[in-house]
Amino acid sequence: MRARPSGWLLAARIAAFGVLAFLILPAFIVVPVSFTDTDYLSLPQDHLSLSHWQTLFQTPMWRNSLVQSFAVAVASTLLSALFGSLAAVGFMRMKPSMAAKLRLVLLLPLIVPTIVAGLAWYWVYIPLRLLDTYFGVILAHTVAGIPLVFVTASSALAAFDPRLEQAARSMGAGQVRVLRQVILPFAMPGILSGAVFAFIASWDEVVVLLFITSRNVYLLPRAIWDGINDNVDPAVAAAATLMISVTVGILLLQQLLSRRENGKAS
Amino acid sequence: MTDDGSMAATGGNQLRRRQVIGGVAAATLAAAAVGATKAEAASRIVVCNWGGEGIKAQSAAWGQPFAQHSGVPVEFDGSGPTFGKIRTMVESGNVVWDVCDANLAVAIDLGRKGYLEKIDWTVVDKNKVRPGFWNDWGVSHFVYSFVLAYDKVKFKDKPPRTWADFWNIKDFPGSRALSARTLGSLEAALMADGVPARKEALYPLDEKRALAKIKAIKDNCVYWSSGAESQQLMRQGEVSMALMWHTRATTLRDEKNSHVDFTWNQGLMIPAGWIVPKGNPAGKAVFDFIAFTQTPSTQIELLRLDGSGPANPAASAMIPDDLRDKDPAYGPNAEVQAVADPLWLADNQDRVYNDYVKIISG
Amino acid sequence: MLTRRSARQGGFVALPALLLIAVCFVLPVGNVLRLSFTEPVPGFENYVHLATESLYIRIAITTLRISVLTTVVAVGLGYLVAYVIAQASPGLRSWLLLVVLIPFWMSVLVRAFAWILLLQREGLLNSALMSLGLIQQPLSLLRNETGVLIGMVHYMIPYATLPLLSSMLAIDSRLMAAARACGAGPIRTMWRIFLPLSLPGLAGATILVFVLNLGFLVTPALLGGGKVIMVAQYIQFGINETLNWGIATALATSLLALVLISLVVASRFIRTETLFGAA
Repeated sequence: MRARPSGWLLAARIAAFGVLAFLILPAFIVVPVSFTDTDYLSLPQDHLSLSHWQTLFQTPMWRNSLVQSFAVAVASTLLSALFGSLAAVGFMRMKPSMAAKLRLVLLLPLIVPTIVAGLAWYWVYIPLRLLDTYFGVILAHTVAGIPLVFVTASSALAAFDPRLEQAARSMGAGQVRVLRQVILPFAMPGILSGAVFAFIASWDEVVVLLFITSRNVYLLPRAIWDGINDNVDPAVAAAATLMISVTVGILLLQQLLSRRENGKAS
Repeated sequence: MTDDGSMAATGGNQLRRRQVIGGVAAATLAAAAVGATKAEAASRIVVCNWGGEGIKAQSAAWGQPFAQHSGVPVEFDGSGPTFGKIRTMVESGNVVWDVCDANLAVAIDLGRKGYLEKIDWTVVDKNKVRPGFWNDWGVSHFVYSFVLAYDKVKFKDKPPRTWADFWNIKDFPGSRALSARTLGSLEAALMADGVPARKEALYPLDEKRALAKIKAIKDNCVYWSSGAESQQLMRQGEVSMALMWHTRATTLRDEKNSHVDFTWNQGLMIPAGWIVPKGNPAGKAVFDFIAFTQTPSTQIELLRLDGSGPANPAASAMIPDDLRDKDPAYGPNAEVQAVADPLWLADNQDRVYNDYVKIISG
Repeated sequence: MLTRRSARQGGFVALPALLLIAVCFVLPVGNVLRLSFTEPVPGFENYVHLATESLYIRIAITTLRISVLTTVVAVGLGYLVAYVIAQASPGLRSWLLLVVLIPFWMSVLVRAFAWILLLQREGLLNSALMSLGLIQQPLSLLRNETGVLIGMVHYMIPYATLPLLSSMLAIDSRLMAAARACGAGPIRTMWRIFLPLSLPGLAGATILVFVLNLGFLVTPALLGGGKVIMVAQYIQFGINETLNWGIATALATSLLALVLISLVVASRFIRTETLFGAA
């Protein structure tokens, strides 16, 4: 006899949907506020207005920060993906005892609270003259993103059968070839998830930026942070809505891609 | 005026273009960005202030006129001249700011420890500031005040006039807002407890007395960390009275359909001031800029743009009628206020902050 | 054996990442650690202050209290959400996961400012509740510890949900069906079968959320009304507004030490990478 879904499961479902609604709630506030007709943060009073979206895309300060943020996020994500996935492969091959000891090092950027990291970089960047430079920010974001890719790639590689590698090697494939054509494709779903996480982490990060940038490098989270302190420009809401849309867009893309990936696999 | 227009005409635009290109080239880890910041060293003045409206106002009142007058471009960095940044900069020998928008207490604190250049009084004029609004390392460029702002609709029959009224929850119901920092809050507490609104009477602050008074109102009070937050608290009706900067109070008062007003009575005037980090890139040239900012007409323009009160008494004498109710330094307004003591603040502020936080977060 | 040889040969590909992190992260953070022992004078003075002065003890207690409360609520709600998602059909599961992931990556600033609009005295929530007649006075949900908790729980639920979901999906559903077939009711099945099997995921989620909570800066600063001071806020004040860096760096070091200790304890029970397993 097939068990009926219990009343408990139904209650759990209702409660869970309540929690999910709670999770989405801020997004539903921010979007209408971006269309407000007032000069300060509030819901639209009389009519909707596109003026803050205009401000966002036409003011050089906002526009430049959008472009710069995108460039920095792309650059640091590519590097994080490179280092992180190689690290995952390396750890997979290592003796487990050594891997256990070294793993903590690789996870440190994820563990250390951002304020401590920001402080640490600030002090080191000053004498190195890396403050307020793109190189400095990309370096910091790359280091912060490596553990994200490492972790997801490792999860994917956890199911990797070493005999596949053995087989390829016994057929004469060199190290690089094995890496490129056997291991990495297997790890790719994990690498991609990690890359998405790393990209979004770079796009949204503010605490470290407050330390290591000032005026040359002025990224979107700084613009939003300044906007919140001044509280004068609802372009902040438009910027936030943009960030949500980009995030949703990327995730939707990832969903569609993995859907197709699963379709191919089955 | 666009943001591009508000930056210096020459150096600013070049730097902006470089930013966009740098952003695109970032994917290839262009080290050119590192080189760019080291390039043009002594040919400009870099002012560090707190960003937002302050950049637009100071740029229009001082930056651009000075650039036209002297041919030296002025650039603004709005990231805020914090202790952490100034000290680290000076200690590492890599100073990027020429002059910082701070206050006279900070000037004493950092100056005594060797992080600041002494003001060159052969270029800058002591007589062009209010008496006492200068010290070895700082000279006042504008003044601002902590004032008592209140809901004029709620209290229309009997508007509050003193800090004793602020502390009187019974007769003036509603929540209150104080600053999350001690400056302004402690002095207001003492004045509420009966200390006259005069510098000599207030300082040295009787800390125990002030903190006990703070504790008394704690349950009805929230504490703001930014000017905008203080504005929002009053505007949204979260609180019915607030200790806030006169600039924000003035903005609120002058908004359409505003329900906010404020009084200068028992206000606390703070001497803001320029400070020069030791080893600043432009060297002695920065004092020409500082001297220029003492010009009365420029200070009146600054008052018009962002409400900062002139530090030069000659400017206060020339205030046009329409600006008189915005200027904390204007005669009748100034008379009813106390002036903060930078020396006491430099010596004691950090220590007393710890006690303050213990109370407000307890 | 081939595997042992490739272990020696192949492990080196992890070297670039390890070196990068060692040089660009461990060293600078170590530099911060050093200052706590040398500022203003060499010695352990800063740590003595931390242990004895009531302000720092208060900050530590506040940080721990809020972290523990947030962890309990976030993990509890995360467990609920993960359970429902795990029981859903694979198609629906992807979309539910998307809903969980959207706020996961929403900027912490964006969320804080939305909460201000929602929770303030004349904010959306209070206005709605009052116009429905459910309350007479506005609820005080902002600029106090309640507001901070709401903001932090909201931030943490996705961090709790994902590791829990991974471990729940690995539980064989036939075990549950077998228990039901033997006559166990839904509660018994949950308590005796499902919960114990999900324990590794639960432990991992708890440690992860707790650790992340400790270092929180933005949410308590924006939602706490100046009355909720957690450790990261005081560190930031110390560095930016005073020259007393000894205490600030000692606080930072203590925070880091606490996190590391929590993880070492956790790694006794579960493999560390399952803490952060992606969906």
